[in-house]
Amino acid sequence: MAAKDSHTASPALVAIAGWLVPGAGYWLLRERCRAVTIGFCVVLLYLTGICIGGVRVVDVPGYGDHGRPLMAVHGRSANDGDSSDQATEDPPAGATGWVMLVHPLDEIRNKPWSIAQILAGPLDIATSAASVWASQPPAGSSIARGARSHARTAELGVLYTAVAGMLNLLAIIDSTYRSVEPGEDES
Amino acid sequence: MSLSLHILAWIPFLNPLPVWSDRVWPWLLLPLAAAVSVVYKSIKCRQMREVPKEAAVILSMIVLSMVAAAVVLVVVVETMDKW
Repeated sequence: MAAKDSHTASPALVAIAGWLVPGAGYWLLRERCRAVTIGFCVVLLYLTGICIGGVRVVDVPGYGDHGRPLMAVHGRSANDGDSSDQATEDPPAGATGWVMLVHPLDEIRNKPWSIAQILAGPLDIATSAASVWASQPPAGSSIARGARSHARTAELGVLYTAVAGMLNLLAIIDSTYRSVEPGEDES
Repeated sequence: MSLSLHILAWIPFLNPLPVWSDRVWPWLLLPLAAAVSVVYKSIKCRQMREVPKEAAVILSMIVLSMVAAAVVLVVVVETMDKW
């Protein structure tokens, strides 16, 4: 197997391309078959998860169950009496601001699956926007556009989308490594 | 509402899949395991022509391992139940 002349893209470009479009990092390294196989599988797995659990399995940090921005409110916790900030969709006067600006790490920690899901790239950003839209009721109604599952389908939907993101991270790391290391011919 | 009416009312991607039976959802392991197998072996294998065979092997290993784990758990639960 001959050494491959694949060093046509910088590692940073390969990593960014792999996040933007799953498998695109390999495409830049001229490993077209590998790129298409991995990209197709990651996107299909993510969409299958959305199909199983509905678009609302994507729990968007900074947004509540009704699709409205969560605002941080300074107050006392009802459980332990400690003074702490809490997030609510219906803030009273004196709300300290959007929770993603005031306490971003706490909010992301409350929705840990979003970390894995965002690794699937802009597909997850588009799905997050659709999830917020589906959480909101249409004009003249109090029922959200999309139903939120609390059953096994929700667990499976979250699992599929998160695994898709983690597999894409694996592909990003591997393609970036291949861009700086001598590779083998693909056939 | 019957299952057929639920399926007719189902809007893909907007609403969850109308499946509640415990007999159905374990089968959803298969697409997940298949995708993990293919992507993992696409990364590991030097030649892409090796991927189908290698992915089939690891897929069967995942499925058999899950079945074995299920059998062990059933035995443990049944044993604990009798005590």
